[in-house]
Amino acid sequence: MFKLLQQVGDYAKEAAQAAKFIGQGLSVTFDHMKRRPVTVQYPYEKLIPSERYRGRIHFEFDKCISCEVCVRVCPINLPVVDWEFDKAAKKKKLNHYSIDFGVCIFCGNCVEYCPTNCLSMTEEYELAAYDRHQLNYDSVALGRLPYKVTQDPMVTPLREFAYLPKGVDDPHDLPAGAQRAGRRPEEIVEEMSAKN
Amino acid sequence: MSAGIDLKGSFIDSLSDLGLPPGAATALWIPLPITLMILSATVGLLVTVWLERKVSAAAQQRIGPEYAGPLGVLQPVADGLKLVFKESITPAKTDPWLFTLGPILVVIPVFLSFLIVPFGQNLAITDLNVGIFLWISLSSIAPIGLLMSGYASNNKYSLLGGLRAAAQSISYEIPLALSVLAVVMMSNSLSTIDIVEQQAGYGILGWNVWRQPVGFIIFWIAALAECERLPFDLPEAEEELVAGYQTEYSGMKFGLFYIGSYVNLVLSALIVAIIYLGGWESPLPVGSLANWLGVSETSSWLQVIAASLGIVMTVLKAYLLVFIAVLLRWTVPRVRIDQLLNLGWKFLLPVSLVNLLLTAALKLAFPFAFGG
Repeated sequence: MFKLLQQVGDYAKEAAQAAKFIGQGLSVTFDHMKRRPVTVQYPYEKLIPSERYRGRIHFEFDKCISCEVCVRVCPINLPVVDWEFDKAAKKKKLNHYSIDFGVCIFCGNCVEYCPTNCLSMTEEYELAAYDRHQLNYDSVALGRLPYKVTQDPMVTPLREFAYLPKGVDDPHDLPAGAQRAGRRPEEIVEEMSAKN
Repeated sequence: MSAGIDLKGSFIDSLSDLGLPPGAATALWIPLPITLMILSATVGLLVTVWLERKVSAAAQQRIGPEYAGPLGVLQPVADGLKLVFKESITPAKTDPWLFTLGPILVVIPVFLSFLIVPFGQNLAITDLNVGIFLWISLSSIAPIGLLMSGYASNNKYSLLGGLRAAAQSISYEIPLALSVLAVVMMSNSLSTIDIVEQQAGYGILGWNVWRQPVGFIIFWIAALAECERLPFDLPEAEEELVAGYQTEYSGMKFGLFYIGSYVNLVLSALIVAIIYLGGWESPLPVGSLANWLGVSETSSWLQVIAASLGIVMTVLKAYLLVFIAVLLRWTVPRVRIDQLLNLGWKFLLPVSLVNLLLTAALKLAFPFAFGG
């Protein structure tokens, strides 16, 4: 009899505890309703990509020396470098250069190792196409500069979370000169040079 | 309390004054509340869908529907229109009759149950003396429809989903009925109007929640399970399974399931509001407030105010419960089928039985407080 009573008591205690936990959970959910939405309403608002954003690769045709380092450091040997030896000038002459962004993983190795800096990362990420072959960019397409989000009159540029002033978590309607938390790189450089 | 507004009587009287025979006037009256009820159920459905999407969005720090109408209020209409225009596919080797009949059988009892929902003293379609019993019996038709559509789809996922839905509905019907029974015992009537009347007079203190707290919680849990709302939505479990018995449905037949589940949610919330939260009674008793201010209870403007206040109160309470259901959806994880049946049979059923016995004992011991 005593054992049964104890079982009933334990069961009741467990039920009460479950109810308490559900109540705590509900209060958490309810608290979230007061917070501002974190939505970026994409075609109308866009986040400003950070400085080190690894987007579509830009290529400067005239700087390239056809050394094929980009091909060697690429995990899948992706860049296609079409060159021929110009006997008169005793130099390699680049005919075509292309990267297929349908296959590229945007690791940035080619940009890192390019000896003449003819490759660079852009902040462009809207690469949608109707056909995967359209993603195979030739040297002309690679040479185009991306459209900057901050210069697009159709788009409200929004700062990413790390670029907001201290204590602010809403990127809308920031005051004009609002700086991000912490010192900017150029400020650090200035301080260093002032010290020396 | 006085009789209040008699819409039916005044409608028939005014038509009789125009020269119509009273029989014809009554015949003209009959379709009016029915259309009104279907309309209000549909509007309630649209509001609930919108509320669900908006509250879900807020709980997840999103915005939710925004572009269809102001604050996205037209989004459910757009959803519905899309479903209407979609092709309704009947897969090969299904039983076309049962396949079509299933969703209909799920929806019709839900809409029929609105017959017994009172929004005021005389603002109900029927004052059946078996009102709440009618609701319970109608709600046990829905599992047949679910089973039918699951079986007719000729698909093992659908069949399993239908079986699960039926098992869930049947096992939660019993605690639901038992907790209703406790309330019915206190108010000595199965009529929804009598149940509300019995809670009247003391404002918020007179509501059944205070006398039946356990019953209230059991009823709400069981109602959520009956509606297949999130902690108990395992027959369809949209993130985990294919959609259970809805797997093969598309277009308006799927829309009927969708409508059925949301109207059922509104209906359950309304019934909880009526049985436990005093229905159309406001937290402060209007009648005694009027007496205290020296306004006659029979004055017509007071009655109009009281009637509209009653409708507002019923709807407000129901939507508060819908809000809690939506909030619960994003709080509580989904239970497994064994946990579901354990909760139903091993917890809710004995607790509701004890609750019933306790109510009976309290009714004998304190007849003044527990409806002698």
